[in-house]
Amino acid sequence: MTDESRQNLLNRIRIREDLELFTGGALSRHANVDDLISRVAALERSQQDFVYEWCELIARSNNELAAHFISLAPRAFSKMEREGVQNWLDESITTFDNRGLGSAIEVLESVDAYAVTYAERHMRCGFDEASVFLRHFVRGLGGREMRIASDGETFTDTESLYLPDAVDLFPVPEQNFTLYKLTAAHLWAQTWYGTWRYQVVEKLMRHFDAETTLPIFNRLESIRLEACIARDLPGLAREIADYRDDDVSTSALWDAWRERAVELLGEDASAEDSLRLAAEFEGMELPPLQPYHGDMYANKVRDALFARIEREKADFQRAMNELNTSEEGQPAGEGDEAQKQMVEIEMTEDDGGDGSDVSFQISIDGELVNVPEHLRELMGSIIQDFGEIPDEHMDPSELGQYSDELLAQAGEAESDSDFDPDAKGTFVYHEWDCVRQRFRDDFCTLRETTVPAGDESFIDETLEKHRGILKSIKKTFEAVLGESRLQRRQSDGDDIDLDALIEAYTDLAQGREMSEYVYTRYRNQERNIAVMFMVDMSGSTLGWVNDAERESLVLLCEALEMLGDRYAIYGFSGRTNKRCEAYHIKEFSESYTSEVRQRISGIRPKAYTRMGVAIRHLGQLLHRTHARTKLLITLSDGRPEDYGGYKGKYGIEDTRHALLELKQSGVHAFCITIDNEAQEYLPHMYGTANYAVIDEVQKLPYKVADIYRRLTT
Amino acid sequence: MTIEAIRTEQTSITEEPYYEAIRDELEVFAAAYRNQLPVLLKGPTGCGKTRFIEYMAWYLKRPMVTVACHDDLTASDLIGRYLIRGGETVWVDGPLTSSVRNGSICYLDEIVEARKDTSVVIHPLCDDRRLLPIEKLGELIAAPPEFCLAISYNPGYQSVLKDLKQSTRQRFVALEFDYPVAATEQVIIEKESGVNADMARQLVKFGAMTRNLKGSGLDEGASTRLLVNAGKLMGEDIAPVVATDSAIAQALTDDGDMLKAIHELSRSIF
Ligand SMILES: Nc1ncnc2c1ncn2[C@@H]1O[C@H](COP(=O)(O)OP(=O)(O)OP(=O)(O)O)[C@@H](O)[C@H]1O
Ligand SMILES: [Mg+2]
Repeated sequence: MTDESRQNLLNRIRIREDLELFTGGALSRHANVDDLISRVAALERSQQDFVYEWCELIARSNNELAAHFISLAPRAFSKMEREGVQNWLDESITTFDNRGLGSAIEVLESVDAYAVTYAERHMRCGFDEASVFLRHFVRGLGGREMRIASDGETFTDTESLYLPDAVDLFPVPEQNFTLYKLTAAHLWAQTWYGTWRYQVVEKLMRHFDAETTLPIFNRLESIRLEACIARDLPGLAREIADYRDDDVSTSALWDAWRERAVELLGEDASAEDSLRLAAEFEGMELPPLQPYHGDMYANKVRDALFARIEREKADFQRAMNELNTSEEGQPAGEGDEAQKQMVEIEMTEDDGGDGSDVSFQISIDGELVNVPEHLRELMGSIIQDFGEIPDEHMDPSELGQYSDELLAQAGEAESDSDFDPDAKGTFVYHEWDCVRQRFRDDFCTLRETTVPAGDESFIDETLEKHRGILKSIKKTFEAVLGESRLQRRQSDGDDIDLDALIEAYTDLAQGREMSEYVYTRYRNQERNIAVMFMVDMSGSTLGWVNDAERESLVLLCEALEMLGDRYAIYGFSGRTNKRCEAYHIKEFSESYTSEVRQRISGIRPKAYTRMGVAIRHLGQLLHRTHARTKLLITLSDGRPEDYGGYKGKYGIEDTRHALLELKQSGVHAFCITIDNEAQEYLPHMYGTANYAVIDEVQKLPYKVADIYRRLTT
Repeated sequence: MTIEAIRTEQTSITEEPYYEAIRDELEVFAAAYRNQLPVLLKGPTGCGKTRFIEYMAWYLKRPMVTVACHDDLTASDLIGRYLIRGGETVWVDGPLTSSVRNGSICYLDEIVEARKDTSVVIHPLCDDRRLLPIEKLGELIAAPPEFCLAISYNPGYQSVLKDLKQSTRQRFVALEFDYPVAATEQVIIEKESGVNADMARQLVKFGAMTRNLKGSGLDEGASTRLLVNAGKLMGEDIAPVVATDSAIAQALTDDGDMLKAIHELSRSIF
């Protein structure tokens, strides 16, 4: 007998004894015990441990069930991973508790069927697991930010990638995941390599019958796109090749198409070539779509595309218009009108002929200007749609349009309800007029009022809803507090401060008095921070945003109470310069009482967003408190806007001025906003590093706390 | 500890450091130097600021001192202090003082990290007085024309407690650094890591992908430094995807989905 087989035999004897013991003899009543024992012996060590452990546990309630478990465990392990086996066993034990032994044994015996459904549930790759990854992945590949959404159909409208709820084509989760990824990548390629360029969509809608053409166009484009991918992303191309349907007739058909459309494989081929070729392919048998291919919906693309073109054109013109004044230093002086300028854009292609990897330089009146991040992105998106910046985007007559609009400062207010500037709790502030390049003195009248109490149960609901987030916020804030730091030159402490001691000694040696401050000590850093939260209560926050703002404040208060920072919360809104309002929610000196909570709950959207005056007023309040670091944080959903011309450049410039005044008085300002277009004007108002744009309202509560932590540590 | 700062040595750079000019920074720095103006280097981490200063030190044939600022760095760490030697007290110059005395280039890296009191000694040195007050010695040293102070600053997403004060920044000639354009970056990677042109081009492309993710889940994209590092690993026959994972992805984030996305982006290229 070899050592190994002796070991085996001993093993089996031991297993048999153990299991007999656990099951109180129930095992021996089974047929084929020997056979069973060898199968248990053949399991991996960790699997055996699992069987032992559970056998003992189950036997405490029922020997017979334990014996059944042993007899089926090897089979279960041959069909499922450990997690599946665990689930199968759990279900049987639950059944035993609820419905008794017979049913529980039935569950165990149906192990084969269980393994099949388990696999179906767990092999698939679901949208929820994959969507965050996909968003990052697609964003990294390049181009405008895509929304990842799930839908019955797989397609893109050039704003979103619509993907199936789940992919479960393969028996292995990794493969389903890859297929999901490739599907997204293929749709992304359509948006990146120009399948839906404006010129193409235009032609397609005008000259072709979508119903017959689209399926052909889809296949021809796939051929072209896969050639593009092979050039730029060879790794991805290899994977795509692996996931093609390898059915002989399918690949033959694709090969035939590829051969006939060979010009699409070239670097210079464009979607217009595919469209032109489509006519030739009419009536030919269509090769079946590959597993990673989606459908095409030209109407949806057109709607999204045209809406975006309009929007981005306006944004582009506004951004170009703001470009001059945003150059640091003085805004353009009174004399030279901002309109009549020579704007030139020069593009350089980095590589490839697809126009997708371009960098550009903008010069105004022959002078190169720095292209801010948001404009760069905007231009990238426009080029994705056109392959260039179309001339009409640059039309100078339209470029000047924005500043003209503002000249009319006509107040539309019903003057009888204007605030009396002399009344108690009423304040008067100046406002910056960028058109006339000077302040309008005593122009704005602001009244302080208090937010009416709302329902306090909102607070509890919020705390409950965000329990998980709150826990993690508290944990990170605790870490902030726990951050102790070494203090030098203490009169007393844990250790000797060598530097100070040496210095003291040298003083002594030179006949001077010796210092007693020669110790070091660890101590929690003292936080000496006062922060004012300025909450946008304009009408546009109605709904989601208002909820998110209130929820954010609730979480924030919890966190701030922990830190012990001094904080105040005010809302702001207004209608015209004569009726600006600041809503008191919490003062610096007030504690986080039930009244404060009720006021937070009671925050409701009011009128407009006259931001400058609000910043000036709350800045005053901040100024009057004592703290080493003072911070004003604005929560807002959009650009400054009010009646009477307070919009566009005028509003932005006044806000910028108010922030500059604030900065000069030593207050730091930061803005958190939910406006996706905020990139255009926030850097100008707050400076590049002093704002954050939150892309999803739901994330606001978490983000606000997180940003606050990062800002103040 | 502070001893570190004291020991920071003057180095003379005798061999030409490899530096690829991005814009007109060489000319601007040289002009600032001739006019005895201090220089502020702004830019994200790993984009070549330190390398640039080394190059300028070589070019201007001046020794240089680098001080990496940290939050315990005080004015005396820069200026100097008394020490005891054999029962005697001796004054030891700090790196800034010795740099002023020798007329070398003093580079304070990540100045915002240092204690606030450091600005007190920097300010008089940076306006037209060019004086360094040494309180303990009762001395006031005038900086020779060869002396140059350069500081660096990364204006990324930062704590307001660490903002560079206006009164400080307005004393400097600012040079803005950013990651180089693709062609230049490719050359840098080739020269620094030894990978071939093809591999370097792929790395640049990969770098751009991670930079696309800045603000959408990443605080920063991969710096030139990280791309060079990945290239160096590849030169040792580490598989490209493993190299980008360990030299780049892990350095950028801990988030699982993001790591996976970066991993898959790398796989699509290599
Ligand atoms: N223009 C360049 N020429 C040559 N090498 C460069 C250049 N830019 C970056 N590098 C490479 O990147 C590496 C990192 O650069 P460096 O250490 O100078 O960065 P840094 O800007 O000082 O970063 P930090 O702010 O983190 O200190 C260098 O070691 C070099 O390999
Ligand atoms: Mg450096």
